[in-house]
Amino acid sequence: MYRHKYRFIVPFLTPAIILYGVFVLWPYSQSFYIALTQWRGVSAHKKFVGLSNFDKLLHDRFFWNALKHNGLLLIALPIVTICIALLFAALFTQGGRGVPGANAYRVIFFFPQVMSAVAISVLWQFVYHPNLGLLNGLLRTTGAGNLARTWLGDPRTALWAVAAVIIWQAVGFYMVLFIAGVQSIPTTFYEAAIIDGATRWSAFWRITLPLLWDNLQTALVFIGIGALDLFIFVQIMTNGGPDRSSDVVARYMYDTAFDKSEFGYATAIGVALLFLTLTLSIFTLRVTRRERIEF
Amino acid sequence: MAEDQRRTIWTRRRFLTAAGATAGAAILAACGGSKATETPKPSSTGAPAATTAPAATTAGSAAATSAPAATTAGSAAAGTSAPASSGGITLPTGDAKNPLKVKEDAPLDVVIFKGGYGDEYAINAEKIYAAAFPKAKVGHQGIQRLAEQLQPRFVGGNPPDIIDNSGAGNLDTAALVAEGQLADLADLMSAPSFDTPGKTFNDSLLPNSQVNGLFDGKQFVLNYVLSVYGVWYSDTLMKKNGWEYPKTWDTMLALCEKIKATGVAPWAYQGKYPQYMTNIMNQMIYKAGGTQAIIKIDNLESNAWRQPEVKSAVEALYQLADKGYLLPGTEGLTHTESQAEWLKGKAVFIPCGSWLENEEKGLVPDNFNMVVKPTPSLSASDKVPFEGIQSSAGEGFIVPAKGKNVAGGKEYLRILFSKQGARFFSENTKSLTVVQNSADGLKLGSAFESVQAANTAAGSNTFVAQYGTWYKKLQDEAKDKMGALLTKQIKPADFIDKVQKMADDVAKDDSIKKFKR
Repeated sequence: MYRHKYRFIVPFLTPAIILYGVFVLWPYSQSFYIALTQWRGVSAHKKFVGLSNFDKLLHDRFFWNALKHNGLLLIALPIVTICIALLFAALFTQGGRGVPGANAYRVIFFFPQVMSAVAISVLWQFVYHPNLGLLNGLLRTTGAGNLARTWLGDPRTALWAVAAVIIWQAVGFYMVLFIAGVQSIPTTFYEAAIIDGATRWSAFWRITLPLLWDNLQTALVFIGIGALDLFIFVQIMTNGGPDRSSDVVARYMYDTAFDKSEFGYATAIGVALLFLTLTLSIFTLRVTRRERIEF
Repeated sequence: MAEDQRRTIWTRRRFLTAAGATAGAAILAACGGSKATETPKPSSTGAPAATTAPAATTAGSAAATSAPAATTAGSAAAGTSAPASSGGITLPTGDAKNPLKVKEDAPLDVVIFKGGYGDEYAINAEKIYAAAFPKAKVGHQGIQRLAEQLQPRFVGGNPPDIIDNSGAGNLDTAALVAEGQLADLADLMSAPSFDTPGKTFNDSLLPNSQVNGLFDGKQFVLNYVLSVYGVWYSDTLMKKNGWEYPKTWDTMLALCEKIKATGVAPWAYQGKYPQYMTNIMNQMIYKAGGTQAIIKIDNLESNAWRQPEVKSAVEALYQLADKGYLLPGTEGLTHTESQAEWLKGKAVFIPCGSWLENEEKGLVPDNFNMVVKPTPSLSASDKVPFEGIQSSAGEGFIVPAKGKNVAGGKEYLRILFSKQGARFFSENTKSLTVVQNSADGLKLGSAFESVQAANTAAGSNTFVAQYGTWYKKLQDEAKDKMGALLTKQIKPADFIDKVQKMADDVAKDDSIKKFKR
């Protein structure tokens, strides 16, 4: 039986591999060539220009501007999202109990995750509406009217207003990821700790967090990759504006290709983004590598 | 640039569109409080109307709509050529019968942007084509987001024969021209008109209406719908307060002060799409410096943005922000949101094109009486009188050079741009076309009357700016910096420096094809 394992596996895998090859790997490999051409996307004519697209990229102030925003989000999003998600996960599950009403909270906090990113972005535009929006309305009725502003129309707040929405929708997913991790920790650990006089807080630091390391690592890579994309949220809520203050590389790439018809250059941006993402993932996995604790 | 202006605007809306139309709509409706007017309307259109056009007929399904053109076109029966009439369609005879030498049995492949104007008018023109060439099989597609669907056909070398290249996500015309993908329409321009005897095709259109379809002097695009751009207000509101539309910028500022004192914002603008205000700037530059000032900008001449006329226009607009005459928060609003505030009377003036009334159909309060006026003159030394206005054609049609039936594509345009084709369009969409006298006697609404009046008053004092179509990057930078200017992030001098720098960058970049006018 064992000897015929591959005879059994191969027919099942082949269709998937072919599809993946044709629709993912092949276009990917093509894009490496397209990135070396000047192609406007409206004819078969591609002029080979070598690495000049990448040279242009290095001197493109709009690209660096967008990349800077990705960088800022790359720092802010994982920290804030993971902290909140961890807090929720611990509150709702740690030691097998969790706070009263934990189940209801779990559902509520997960809810944004089941909505499409497009719908979320459109909804939040209304929350941020300067005159009729929920947020400014809330601020004004609670006497904090001087904090009310044009959230998406002000270059100082636009990026962070978008970031807040991303965090709002992402927290639920990571909360569930961490809850799964916390639940797999045997309750006996906590019982033993309590007998030894540990508080909830020290149980979290000494037991939950170390045993959640694998999940944390996964979360970091996911959020990191996510922070290099964010196309949908930015495109819908601000379209990178005002005055490119909330632009991200993915949106800039889209704009370069589909609005400016510079497909060759846009593909070069895409290739650069691919390597950035790969580097970041490998880097994250390396630095967070720890010895596995078996339990 | 007029057309591109709108195109760019719609492009920005593409996701709003997708979202608004699908997921968004239901959820937003469920949001209760938010008024219908705030919903980003699914106007994925290069055309004004956000409402879905009632064009139910698709893919050549022959619904028996009556072509209403019979009488008008028929009245052109004078002279040598007696038009042969069949079923409300007037077909030309003699020289005008088949001047472009269309192969009678060659199929015709038509792709129409189905936006605010629907595609009934195009189907009507296809019927006329089918009547003229009974042996030809006419294929019709009414679609949106043309670039995504047609790019592969261009790359593959089998594009359609005729395209209405409009709306969100349309094909980049400058790129198509640069790649030699478009047919030169010179022979069509000089061919006899379809149903205006004794006139060439070109002469049957409004003078200068096709300037923005010229690329290096060659006619690659024909624009169908005539739009007038300017400053809009409610005539009722102005009259009630005893205000009069100011003819100079100084009196505009004085009026703004008065308006502000009543607690109403003098101006609103489509904050997320500041190109509505760059449009106003273009108009002011044109009026101060004449067409020459605009041509310098279009031609990327060195220091074109440092012309004194540009400086005065930019400084004038900055005053609106500096003196607090803009509706608070307007910089964060979309076009529909800001226009809704304006309709509610929160602001008196708003910039827009003549699709505005159609776009706000059903939302305009009774007795609102919206009218359009040209931008106020900057000074007494302006080269163009106050009546000068931006009046330009949009909804661009192209004939791909590598289509299988290029002559048929041109013939289709000859039919669409005929009096009967255009009149059907105007009746069907309540919008004017570039075809002379085609809407005579039609009643098209109150805003429309002001558009016609403005157009008549302007006479030959109209212009188009091309830099937006030719150099989208420059258009984008001007738009972005206009937003920054109107929120006082930058000063007029910074605006000029930044935009001039982008103009220089574009001029230096050899990967961008340059055009001259």
